[in-house]
Amino acid sequence: MKKLLMLVLIIALAAVVGAAQTKLTIFADDTRTPLLRDLGAQFTADTGVEVDVVEYAWNDLRSAYVTSTQAGEGPDIVIGAHDWVGEYVANGLVEPIDLGKKVADFSPAALEAFTVNGALYGLPYASENLALVYDKDLVPTPPRTWDGLLAICRAVADPEKPMYGLAFQNQAGNFYQFFPFLSAAGGYIFGYDDKGALNPCDVGIATDGAIFGATLYQSMLKEDLIPSGVDWDTLNALVEGHNAAMYITGPWLIGAIKSAGVNYGITQIPAIKGPNGAYNVPKVFTGVQGFMVNSFSDNKTIAMDFLMNYVATMDTMVALMNLGDRAPAYLPAVTQAGPDILAFSQQAAFGVPMPSIPAMASIWQEGGNALDLINNGTDPATALKQAQDLILTAVDCK
Amino acid sequence: MKILLLGIVDAVVVWAGVGLGTQNAYALLSLLLLGGVGLNIAILSRRAYPLRYLLPSLLVLFGMVVYPILYNVYISFTNLQTGNLLQKSQVIHLLENRYAPAPEETIYAYQAYLSDKDELLLLLTDEQGQHFLSQGKTLEPLRPDDQRLVTQDGTTGLDVPGYHAVTGPALYQLLPRLETLAIPVDNATLRLSGIRQFKTVIKQYSYNPKTDRLVDLQTAISYAPVDGRFTSAAGKTIEPGFQTWVGARNFVRIFSSAAIGKDFLRVFLWTVVWAMLSVFLSFSLGLSFALLLNDRKLHFRLVYRTLLLVPYVMPVFISAFVWRGMFNENFGIFNRILGDLFHVQVPWLTNAMWARASLIMINVWLSFPYMMLISLGALQSIPDQLYEAARVDGAGAWRRFWSVTLPLLMISLAPLLIGSFAFAFNNFTLIYLVTAGRPAVLGAATPAGATDILISWTYRISFQGGSGNNYGLAAAISILIFVMIATISAIGFRMSRHLEEVYG
Repeated sequence: MKKLLMLVLIIALAAVVGAAQTKLTIFADDTRTPLLRDLGAQFTADTGVEVDVVEYAWNDLRSAYVTSTQAGEGPDIVIGAHDWVGEYVANGLVEPIDLGKKVADFSPAALEAFTVNGALYGLPYASENLALVYDKDLVPTPPRTWDGLLAICRAVADPEKPMYGLAFQNQAGNFYQFFPFLSAAGGYIFGYDDKGALNPCDVGIATDGAIFGATLYQSMLKEDLIPSGVDWDTLNALVEGHNAAMYITGPWLIGAIKSAGVNYGITQIPAIKGPNGAYNVPKVFTGVQGFMVNSFSDNKTIAMDFLMNYVATMDTMVALMNLGDRAPAYLPAVTQAGPDILAFSQQAAFGVPMPSIPAMASIWQEGGNALDLINNGTDPATALKQAQDLILTAVDCK
Repeated sequence: MKILLLGIVDAVVVWAGVGLGTQNAYALLSLLLLGGVGLNIAILSRRAYPLRYLLPSLLVLFGMVVYPILYNVYISFTNLQTGNLLQKSQVIHLLENRYAPAPEETIYAYQAYLSDKDELLLLLTDEQGQHFLSQGKTLEPLRPDDQRLVTQDGTTGLDVPGYHAVTGPALYQLLPRLETLAIPVDNATLRLSGIRQFKTVIKQYSYNPKTDRLVDLQTAISYAPVDGRFTSAAGKTIEPGFQTWVGARNFVRIFSSAAIGKDFLRVFLWTVVWAMLSVFLSFSLGLSFALLLNDRKLHFRLVYRTLLLVPYVMPVFISAFVWRGMFNENFGIFNRILGDLFHVQVPWLTNAMWARASLIMINVWLSFPYMMLISLGALQSIPDQLYEAARVDGAGAWRRFWSVTLPLLMISLAPLLIGSFAFAFNNFTLIYLVTAGRPAVLGAATPAGATDILISWTYRISFQGGSGNNYGLAAAISILIFVMIATISAIGFRMSRHLEEVYG
């Protein structure tokens, strides 16, 4: 009898533990978690609502959010990149949000990036893009045109040393880094349909302009001006050894460049003279990061209160900017931005938001394969046309 | 002690059960309860004594192996993919809670009151200063001279006996409850739209469970569930879609897709070659080392053995990246040395044939210590008399190896080699970490690279192409791969049984 009683007591205890208080859960990446924990503590002090910030590596956030939300255990708020939103919206996992009067405080381009089918799904805080980072000791004046860049490359390049004119992450499949070459003379990812939405059946990675840019890239590779097979680790090693005069890279490399003691400058990627004789600055992808609200959250009002009154403030936005060294999406914070951030923003004027529609998965896959083939010496026209065909087939447009 | 442990297990079962119950996961819930009750009977009843040793392992086996396999089979018959991720009930819940802004938006400030019995009372005030009373179901206008209205310090409140105003932190605790309210007013619905306000909005959809139709309340168009998406008669669909049963469609797609068929043979052949060569070469190397180490005349045997085990104890994650770095065409150690000595650059990971060779080299490096270990063990079990007898018969070392050692080793090692084959056949990790299936192949009809094995190809087709993730297709292909491996293994085991009959 005593045993039975004990059993009942333990079971009862378990049932009591199950009952819960109102709590705000946030999934965040490791860089921003400490800041959000501080904000959460402040929010708890003001409102009594507990805030639980769950830390993930940036690359795990997306799948963690999809899996947990699908199972009904998602957070109320999640941090993410704008190009994940397409998938989230297609799956019904995020809630449209209304920034009210504060909408004027945000960069229109950043808001546009988080907009799907006319509805805004994220409160943006930062944006990032590629630009030209150069070693001032080797390149006293940065080139304005691609011909100027080629001249510098030829002057400094020496594969034996090794010393390269230009380096970037062109390892198998990095289509993100390849896009500036394709876009300069008129390549694009998706066209628009008559309603102004991205049209997955209009792919422009094998236009004459795109092929022109890819051919230019391949010729630099053949001339040993660019090292091939550069992945993230190799790029860091090149920076560490001062083995390249110029890099096409984003704010994420600046830390390594500083610690390697490179006397660096940041500027626009030089304009490429297209087949029609016009000079065009290569377009880069912009990636915007922001906060999203779970469509299954029971605490949407509290989540929005937290975002509007604790996150969308000058202090938080400046702190977020300094944490990631990314250009702020919150316009008042731009006044506090350092020179590096402003330099990257110059290139952002020639940025296009990475398309967020699910068909983008095919672009990454097949565009990356095309870069792979071009690296291995395949004729760019053949490689890009094959990629375009395969994309159209994969997204059921053919 | 026993009861305490059982109590803890029961508590976990109840806790998990409540969780599953609230998520409507009834299949898992019933399994859990069945398991829990069974466990209690087995431990509390004397007659079921032997069961208490068997049941826990059976339960774990079911939970960790059988259930995932059944789930995988189930998924292969559904359309689970990007855009069809949620359950139908989840999608209905989402759509029924979807509101559009009202054409003439009215904003109400509110003050919440709770009775001691947790009954809710709201005092709402619109922009004209008109007060309303609501218990969460209806909106009831209040005359300005209503007795219950009290004005204090310029703000108007309610004074109803038994009810107290909710403010501060208590209000935040109440917000989730207020968020569920949908109070009908005229042609619109009143919903919580901020910490301190309600707003009129228009409800968009209503679902009728009897007819299984979703109705757009504005246009009166009815949407029927077709293929995991609510679809109108005119073919218009509503996002998001939901999971649904699609029969054998995923399998049909695999077999009827010209693109998949075109690449299949190339990928399959490489997979078989990769698995065969990996096992054969690593076994040859491992056995050679084992034979050396088994020689009692060898000094420092323990040191060698420890050193030879290093590749095995290093995590694959680390060694794969190290190898990838060493094989780098411009900066890798191999090409540095080759370049300095012979002025050649080997395209280790970028040329199709070299990439395949590099992968096999890496896999041999990673797996020969395992082969060495099992060979060492098996060598110990071969009785010395056999060697003596062979020596008396005049067999040399070479002959002794081929006629005595190898056949006897094969009896005990053949099943392990078949296991290694199956493992290499599905060694996604290594392929993915080193080459990710690349380099790309010109003329491929799907994203099938030169070093893609079946499982990494599946991953690329299902998760990295098309329009996002296609779990249904991936599950279907993985079942086919399972059938292939099962067939190959069955043949292997049959052959090894012959060995036993001959030599055993």
